[in-house]
Order: sequence, then C-alpha cells, then structure tokens
Amino acid sequence: MSEATMSHIVRADAPEGGEKIIEVDSLNKWFGEFHVLKDINMSVNRGEVVVVIGPSGSGKSTLIRCVNRLEEHQEGKVTVDGIELTDDMRNIDMIRRETGMVFQSFNLFPHLTVLENITLAPIRVRKWKKSEAEERAHYFLGKVGIPEQANKYPGQLSGGQQQRVAIARALTMGPKVMLFDEPTSALDPEVIGEVLEVMVTLAKEGMTMMVVTHEMGFAREVGDRVIFMDSGQIVEVGSPEHFFSNPTEERTKSFLSKIL
Amino acid sequence: MMIPSRLPPVPATGARAWLRDNLFSSTANSIASVVTLVLVAWLGINLFSWMFFDATWQQIWNNLKLFAVYRYPVELLWRPLAIIGMVMFLLGVSSGITPSGETNITRGVFWSFSGLVFLLTVLALLSWESVRLGWVMVSLACLAGYTLGREKPIVAKALPWLWGASLPLGFVLLYGVPGDAGNILRVVETREWGGFMLTLIISVVGITVSFPLGIALALGRRSKLPAIKYFCIGFIEIIRGAPLISWLFIASLLVPLLFNVSPDRIGPLLRALVAVTLFSSAYMAENVRGGLQAVPRGQREAAQALGLSGWQTLKMIVLPQALKAVIPAIVGQSIGLFKDTSLVFIVGLFDFFNIANTVVANQPESLLVTGGIRLELSLFVAVIYFFFAYRMSIASRQLEKTLGVGER
Repeated sequence: MSEATMSHIVRADAPEGGEKIIEVDSLNKWFGEFHVLKDINMSVNRGEVVVVIGPSGSGKSTLIRCVNRLEEHQEGKVTVDGIELTDDMRNIDMIRRETGMVFQSFNLFPHLTVLENITLAPIRVRKWKKSEAEERAHYFLGKVGIPEQANKYPGQLSGGQQQRVAIARALTMGPKVMLFDEPTSALDPEVIGEVLEVMVTLAKEGMTMMVVTHEMGFAREVGDRVIFMDSGQIVEVGSPEHFFSNPTEERTKSFLSKIL
Repeated sequence: MMIPSRLPPVPATGARAWLRDNLFSSTANSIASVVTLVLVAWLGINLFSWMFFDATWQQIWNNLKLFAVYRYPVELLWRPLAIIGMVMFLLGVSSGITPSGETNITRGVFWSFSGLVFLLTVLALLSWESVRLGWVMVSLACLAGYTLGREKPIVAKALPWLWGASLPLGFVLLYGVPGDAGNILRVVETREWGGFMLTLIISVVGITVSFPLGIALALGRRSKLPAIKYFCIGFIEIIRGAPLISWLFIASLLVPLLFNVSPDRIGPLLRALVAVTLFSSAYMAENVRGGLQAVPRGQREAAQALGLSGWQTLKMIVLPQALKAVIPAIVGQSIGLFKDTSLVFIVGLFDFFNIANTVVANQPESLLVTGGIRLELSLFVAVIYFFFAYRMSIASRQLEKTLGVGER
C-alpha cells in the first residue's frame, strides 16, 4: 500500500436524497497525545442501518460515543437531528433525549427494578405521568420478549435478558436514533441470538441505527452500509455484499479473514 | 447414555456429630477446644463470683441521675424524657407502617429500645419518684407510635418531615426558650448538660450533620473546578492529619477567636460539636469517596445517555449505589464517633464516660485506696456503650442484607 492511499480520506456519506439525521464532519479526537479519531466524515440517513466494524482499538466505539457526547471531540462538527453538539449543555441534553444507546456491558441500574430502570428517564426527563411511562415500558418489555420480568432486579436476569431490558429502556424514551456499542460482545454465545433478533426486528421496522458490532450475520441481514475502521480512520465503506464478496483494501481483507 | 441423578450422601446430624466435626476433628483442634473451654470457664467463674459477692454496685445506683443527665435540673427532667418519648413515638410509627413478615431494620431497633424503655419504666415505678410519670408516658408513646403506624399507614408520608423537625424541636425542648425565668420552658445552660444525654447529643448531631457534609466534601474532591477541589482536599487532609483531641483543644481556643466573641458567649458544647462534626465529616468524605469510586463509569454514562441531568444522575444513580457500598464503613465510623465523644472532657464537658471519673473522685478515701469502685464503674460504662454500639452493628448488617436484594 502506498503512502498516498494511507493518507487518503475515505468519506462515508449517506446516499443522496435521504434526510440526514447524523452528520459527522472532519471529526478529530485525541486521548491525551493519542490521536484516536482522524478526519472522520460520515452521515446516516433517517431509517438507515449503518454497521461499523474494525479491530479493537480502531476507534469505532469512540466514534459512536461522540455522537451523543459521551466523548468530547476536539475538532470538527457533529450534528444530530439538525442540532450541533457544542459545549452547550442544553443542546447535549436535547440530543441525548433523541438518541437511545445500548452498551456492551448493559449498564442497567442494579439498585432499581427492571420497570424502574425503564421508566426513570421517561418520568424524570420526558416528564410523563408514572402510569403512562409504565404502560409504555410494559409494551416495550413485551416487544423485546420478556414481559414477565418487570419487577425483578437486573442481577436476577441472564445477560441476554439484561441486554434486552437495556434495549427496551432506550426504546421507551421514543428515540429517533439508536446507537449500539458492541451490544453482543459481553454475552454468552447461546444468548446472542435473542438480542440480535430484537435488533433485526427494530431495523426492519425502520428504526435508524448505528451499530458497532462483530456480528457479520446481522450486517448482512439488515445492514444498509458497512463502515470499516482501522487505527482511527475510515478505511472502506460499502454495502454488506461488497464487503463479503470483494473488499478492495488490504486491511479490510485481512480483518475479515480473521473474524469470518 | 444419561447417568441418573443420585441424592447426596446423608450427613451425620446431632450434637455428637457436630462436636466431633467442629471441636474435636483432630488432635490439635481437640487440645485447642479444651484449653479454650477451661480458660473461658475460669474467667467466667471468677467474674461471676466477683460481680455477685465482692463488687459494690451501690454507688452506680446512687449516681444514676448523674450518669444519665449530669446536672440537668430534676424538676425539668420531663424535657429530656419528652424527647425520648418523641423519638420512640416516631420510631414506633416508622416500624409500624411496614407490613409484618418483611424484614425491617427499624422494627428491630424499635423493639430493642422499647425493651430498654419498659425496663426503665419498671425501675422508675419502683424507685425513681421524680421521673415516674415521665417514663410511663415514654412507654405509652412507644406503644402509641407503633399502633398508629399499624392502623394508619398513611402517616408514612409525613414521617420524613416529622423526623426532620424532631432535631430542632428536641434542641428547643432541651435548651428552653430565653426570657421569662421560672417558666417550665426556662433556659438550661449547656454547661448543666452531661452524662449519657450529652453523649447521645454529640453523637447524633455529629453523625447527622457530618453525613451531608461528608458527601459534599467527597463530591467536591472529585470536582472539575480547581478551587473547590483543592479546598476539599486541603480540608480533608488537614482534619485527618491530627487527632480529634487536638481539634477539640483548637476548637475551644480558635472558635472564639475566629468569630471574635468572648469565650463565654460560645458554650463548650457548641465548640465540641463543631470540632466533632468537622472531624467526622472529613472521615465521612473519604468513606463516601470510596463508594463513589466503586460505582462503575458505565452507570453514569447510561444515565447521561438517557438524558438525565448531572444532578439527577448523582441523586438517583450514583449516590444510592455509592452509599450502599460503604454502609459498613459509615456505621463503623458512627460507632467510633459514639465512643470518641468521651474525649469532650477536654473542653470541660461531662459526658457519660467522664461521669464515672467524677463519681470515683468523690468517693471516701478508703475506697480509693483499695482500687475502690473504679472497676464496677468501668464495667457499667462499658456495658452501656456496648449495648448501643452492638445494636448499631446489628442494624448495619441487616441493612446490608436488605439492600443487597437482586445485587449483581
């Protein structure tokens, strides 16, 4: 690979004609001296499912965490639903209300029941009535397939069930975008399927999703576009078919050969 | 081919099996058991014979009022008793409202203190004329509170307010209302306070005030604002760097100087309270900080991702988990503070422990020479301290267990 291709900036723009809901423009981020995100340009259309893959340490989790400002960026522009992320806490709160996030380690609140986990933010942030929030919570618990677990504590559930509660918790807020940060990486192999199933249903219903994952089956089934990242930059972008049949970049090929 | 499940081997049961397994499982264990048994028996017999044949308990019995309240006027003893009644009433309501069957910490605390109250009521009926009516009223308050909680659980809503109001109300009752001497609410100067009452006042005020202060300091120590952060670090480290006894000295000299008033204006109790509270809050801060560090970063992130504000995240997600993690440490510190109050003699106060010294000093020469009644007094003081400290320790263990439901 020549120097020229190394420094070439790959753009991951959403297809024309769609309504852009996430726009990342020349994003740069450092952890101390370490340049973790380098000139990231990407966007996501409403209703699109974008899958981000790449080796660990490639910056894909950091990128998704920049979208709802769990990480602060130093250069460039991140815009979600027309609101630019700046230091202004009001903007940040507005964006966080509209973006649901699912974490690798679930991050359910262990001191609250499943129902309380789900209704906390709708009641405190959206200012819904308790009865209304609980009704919606029960609806989404049914949707993720565990309606009977509402009054248990997270510690009493299996990993797969916990992650589905986390998805229900994010969905109950009625988000416009769902961010998934390696949602199945901490799960036992036999329960990964039940979480992916929920995500596939969501995608098919038209939810806008940005998903960091190693689950190629998921990408193939519902992904509109796949972004491959390595050492802080976007290396290759394309449809899932493109990635599985004829990836062009050396680094992509070597990565895919390891995980497939 | 599936291997069928079998039942586990039946363990030997009964006293013999237990003894064999636990006390005489090996030669070394048998020797240790026998030696310990002999030692405990020897100590027990000696203590027993001393307690019932040699010791004189008369002086403790005679000085009980001194031990309880020091020089608080006899005719106004209904005021501290009213406070005990108020607290027991609230405790009764608090334990009455939870449905029976559920483990309830308040209920355990309530019944052990009620037991003490009933015992004292019986003693008062038999021999303490001046507080007879008062103790009967306190006993009734216990029962009334419990019954009220039982019958009308709706009062639960008012409980936090009532508990909050009880502290200032208690102070007013104890201190009195200025003006109008001769009144039943006449002022009793804090230098007249003492005994177990003073020990309780200093511990309760010290613990309740240092708790929020400690949380504030712990959060301040993690603040991003350097001014707040370094102030908190400085405060905590300086306070923890010197023993309580030196802070009591400093408080008694420095407080009048700082606020530019004559030492008579600020009573020794206030100075002791300031020193004890600040001292305790520095330790509380470090305990709470340990708890804050035990909460995974993901918890805060999940709350933020849901749109909760920083304050909401702290109040509803981080602090509940952090405080739960450090309950044992906080209770341990409370027990320590309860006993450390005995150092307030430094500022001229007579707390429970120091009454014992006063009593010894006032004994006839003959008793002093033979070792006198010091041992009896020390034992009495130790038993009372133990009752309260151990009760706190039990409550803490129950609290941990209750809050541990559904833990990961």
